[in-house]
Amino acid sequence: MKTGFFKQYSRQLIAAAVILVICIVLAILKPAKEELMSHTSPEMQKMIEADASSSRKRVTVTYNDLFIINYASLSTSGAKVMSEKYVGFVGRVYPADEGVMKVTGQMVNYTYRMLGCRENLMHGAKLTILLTTLTVIFGVVLGTLLALAKISKKKLLSGAAGVYIFFFRGTPLLIQLFVVYFTVPGVFGFAWRDLFSASDTEAVYKGAFLAALIAFGLNSGAYCAEIVRSAIQSIDKGQFEAAKALGMNYFQTMTRIIIPQSVRRMIPNVSNEFIMVLKDASLVFAISLMDITTVSKNIMTSEGSYLVFIPALVIYLVITAFFGFIFDKIEKKFSVYE
Amino acid sequence: MKKRFFAGMCAVIATLGLVACTSETGTETVTETTETETTETETAETDTETEASSVIDLSGVKLKSDGVLSVGCEVGYPPFEDFADDGTTPIGYDIDIITAVADKLGLEVNIINTAWDGIFAGIDVNYDVVCSAVTITPERQETMIFSTPYINNYQSVVLLADDDKTISSFNDLDGMSIAVQKETTSDILMSDYKSTGTIDVQIVANEKVTSCFTQLQNGEVDAVVVDSTVADGYINSSDDFVIAYKDTAEAEQFGIAMGKENTALQAAINQALAELEEEGYIQETYDYWFGAAAE
Repeated sequence: MKTGFFKQYSRQLIAAAVILVICIVLAILKPAKEELMSHTSPEMQKMIEADASSSRKRVTVTYNDLFIINYASLSTSGAKVMSEKYVGFVGRVYPADEGVMKVTGQMVNYTYRMLGCRENLMHGAKLTILLTTLTVIFGVVLGTLLALAKISKKKLLSGAAGVYIFFFRGTPLLIQLFVVYFTVPGVFGFAWRDLFSASDTEAVYKGAFLAALIAFGLNSGAYCAEIVRSAIQSIDKGQFEAAKALGMNYFQTMTRIIIPQSVRRMIPNVSNEFIMVLKDASLVFAISLMDITTVSKNIMTSEGSYLVFIPALVIYLVITAFFGFIFDKIEKKFSVYE
Repeated sequence: MKKRFFAGMCAVIATLGLVACTSETGTETVTETTETETTETETAETDTETEASSVIDLSGVKLKSDGVLSVGCEVGYPPFEDFADDGTTPIGYDIDIITAVADKLGLEVNIINTAWDGIFAGIDVNYDVVCSAVTITPERQETMIFSTPYINNYQSVVLLADDDKTISSFNDLDGMSIAVQKETTSDILMSDYKSTGTIDVQIVANEKVTSCFTQLQNGEVDAVVVDSTVADGYINSSDDFVIAYKDTAEAEQFGIAMGKENTALQAAINQALAELEEEGYIQETYDYWFGAAAE
């Protein structure tokens, strides 16, 4: 199995190894943070020194280390506006105030911010990936239960599942998100933040993330229910009858015969659902979380730079490519039943 | 038979819908014409007035459409701009000011409601100017130009009324979670306090300022940092909130923003604002929207 994998992807693996080696070499050659900072003007150094003893600091020092390249910017607020930017690449430090280096610096900075480096887990690409993955896992589990309920012969059970699916597919996710985050705590008199310890400074983001996960999961469950139901019902009836003839009960039939076969038929649709959720994740802007789309929109409004969307697209494509590959593998694995 | 009945119903509903739409458009056109008429008469008046005093030179001013000042505005920021109870007419301090300015220039006003995100990107694309409680900042001045300021504003901290915290400066927000409206001066100021390492504060940025107050009420955040003018509006309408701190040392000024090349329009608007100031119109409008007692 393993050798097969290496043989199948030998070309891609070699390419990846070459890129990795180049990156490592570039990373080693990259100038250190101190070197980048040593290029700052004397006035800026003076401001930084003055800040050390001041209660209202004025200098914002940004340092973005993006493995093969790094970027530093120092800017002041207040009446006297100063701004200095530097890019470090292959042993040299370049001023990044204009021209190609300015664009390079911006790209590094934007990518860094969108990936959410040095930020908590509920930020940028990390938020997008975490929320999407958890939502789809939650959605598939909930969806399977709902699908089984919907095809069950018990009227009450199938009715309840039907109403649930109707409700969550029939209303917009954004409104569901608003209801979970604003209306539910308002009506029941609790705050999402209070579910986490009061000393946790990030509780407010965690609370919002939990609310988002619940809203997304409940919504995704309804969509996944239909995916799972259609997959189960696509299995030939004869299989049920054969299992019954062998003396299997309903539970055994489902877990040993039907569900393993239907997984393969579910994967393409679940993969679709995954990509939909990945992009829907940008709706969390409404409850003050920042995913890739929100970060890039913010950068556009504050800096007016349209270049920001290029790294955003690349990041999305990389995520989609990675998870697409994984879904492909899972699908192949379950194809053995066909 | 049933099917046919259903189809008939559909047809009836569709026709009703169409009729409703048409009648609506009808009334709209009517109001528009009356509006135009009034503007025209007013323009005539202004013309005579300006002839008497000074003529505002509009030559060299490029507008998106002739005779109309297109204004980008994020309607939903009371008392600066908000929809009247009919849900379609924009009203507020900014609207009054820009309408008066346009009157002075002999132009019609077309308010274009737009999201705050990307509002400046629309200058010279979708509208000529932005008049939407825009603070004049050096960063913004790099990409656009401003009229002379038409109101002063301060950053303020709003707490729940039953909160016993005392805030005597923004440094007292250390360790708290605060809500701000995204990409407003409040957001920029608080982000600056955080990024420079002055205080450690968790910033929750929202699209709408109203969400900030909902979060404060629900207990998701400890405080809201917002323009004092907006805070005044909330305090007046609700007993739940108090202004804990107002940064009177650093006044912010609101101006009308426009494209960098549009200096001719800037000069014309500045002249109109100066005349309005002289006539006492700006003070009058201020008293009307913020109350004569408000600072």
